[in-house]
Amino acid sequence: MITVSGLTKKYGDRTVVDDVSFTLEPGTVTGFLGPNGAGKTTTMRMMTGLVAPTAGAAVVGGRPYAQLPNPGAVVGTLLDASAVHPGRTGRTHLRLLAQTIGVPAGRVDEVLGLVGLTDAAHRRIGGYSLGMRQRLGIAGALLAEPPVLLFDEPVNGLDPEGIRWMRDLLRAHAARGGTVLLSSHLLGEVEHTVDRLLVIGNGRIVADAPVAELLGAEGTAVRALDPAAFARALEEAGFHVQHGTQGVLLVPGTDPSQVGAVAAAGGHVLVELRPQQRALEDLFFSLTTAA
Amino acid sequence: MTAAPLIDQPLPQEDIPMTETRTMHRPPATTYPGVRASAASLPALVGIEIGKSLSTRSGRSLAAAAVVLPSVAMGLAALSGDPFPSATGPIGAVGTFAALLLMALGVLSTAGEWTHRTVQTTFLLVPQRGRVLTAKAVALVLTGGVLAAVATAASAGVLALTFSGDPSWEGALFAMGTVAGSGAAFAVVGAGVGAALGNAPAALTGLYLTVLGVIPVAGVFQPEVVSWGDLSNSVLLLAQGQEETKAAVVIAGWVLVSTVAGALVTRRRQVA
Repeated sequence: MITVSGLTKKYGDRTVVDDVSFTLEPGTVTGFLGPNGAGKTTTMRMMTGLVAPTAGAAVVGGRPYAQLPNPGAVVGTLLDASAVHPGRTGRTHLRLLAQTIGVPAGRVDEVLGLVGLTDAAHRRIGGYSLGMRQRLGIAGALLAEPPVLLFDEPVNGLDPEGIRWMRDLLRAHAARGGTVLLSSHLLGEVEHTVDRLLVIGNGRIVADAPVAELLGAEGTAVRALDPAAFARALEEAGFHVQHGTQGVLLVPGTDPSQVGAVAAAGGHVLVELRPQQRALEDLFFSLTTAA
Repeated sequence: MTAAPLIDQPLPQEDIPMTETRTMHRPPATTYPGVRASAASLPALVGIEIGKSLSTRSGRSLAAAAVVLPSVAMGLAALSGDPFPSATGPIGAVGTFAALLLMALGVLSTAGEWTHRTVQTTFLLVPQRGRVLTAKAVALVLTGGVLAAVATAASAGVLALTFSGDPSWEGALFAMGTVAGSGAAFAVVGAGVGAALGNAPAALTGLYLTVLGVIPVAGVFQPEVVSWGDLSNSVLLLAQGQEETKAAVVIAGWVLVSTVAGALVTRRRQVA
């Protein structure tokens, strides 16, 4: 389990990460969402000891990352796929990592196969595409099959097939009891992968909840022949009514049958009745711009 | 072997509040069979650092140049036909050349990691930055020393075979030892300056400009003062058995100052 408490990073007067706290549980994939520059990467760098926090702490299984005996065997980290020496071959790069972590040499070819880089392993990384570097970074993070995976924007440069592969990989890891933190600035990339969303905007956590709960703010959209009268009827029935565009009434926290029942009881003519799902992107924007 | 001991070893209760969720999800994912639970030993890290230096084309090219070019220089000196009274002079001169090339190997070992940002992975896997720097220093002492020793032995061989004037070989072994030691020292100086600047082009340009440009020029005006900072001339003097103590102090001073500067900056620098 990873516990982050009160992590704060200031550069001069500028607060990049502001009192960020959360917990990552084994068996879950947590999405770390926020626009570019919201503080995701800085938070992850503080969690792994690369950047010293101004305040707060992060512990992995009760210890700060830097005090783990062999951190590469516990946490597989992918922060910046381009942080590789372009002059080494993919295989040499992974061999050096495997020696440092203390992974049997045969594992290098295994992870190369896993990420689909076997044929490119003998080539210099300088000639790799962004997607190939991303796969190489993932291969490095998976060398020890560590229980915790921290991936910062891992789907950058991956093709749709690669994105699906990554989703399956992370879901399988969580299913085995692993802990995953997956950052992204694009909700669509992670919404089908994660169990829980951690939304960050301007350095602050603005939402931390299971995906279903965050999307639970649903309701019913309804259009009546006489909107004003039907709105009154709904309010008299105890529902909160919001006025949408083109005469649409929005009734949060209801399902269409409840709204339909009010219409039937009052003899109101409806021209449209449908469940309203709060768009993930809308939620994302409302949370991060409010911050 | 599983990951459980790595991540869930018994900890003082005050460190980690027991929560319901913590006990719910057991056991966690397991690590790959045979993965080492402890940190890499220092000798292992030294081996990895040597591997890093020699696994790039730039590193291999520098190593090859440091071994071969001094002999080529010796051969060219022989062609010029100038007589040398003592072997220590040419051995020291081409040895300084080898050491200057090895300085670049040192720069790439530290500054190269910042320039290519591989330092991120290095510190993720070994967060104790002092251990990484120590491993790099030992790796460079070994690589620099061995490569300079091979270079000086080869160039002494060329000297013996090609020079017609039959120079005196007295003190030649000491000169060759000086070259080997200087190879190690220069590589460490390069690593220290590289770590302090964190930028390979800046460190290379700055070092060579200082050692080969600024110091010799300044020495024209203030020879006595500047001689205390003249790294390359100190190797020449030491190899020829002149002002040995002063020369050794100058070389050791460069090693000390650059290493301390590199270590201090590396401890504080953020990997962003």
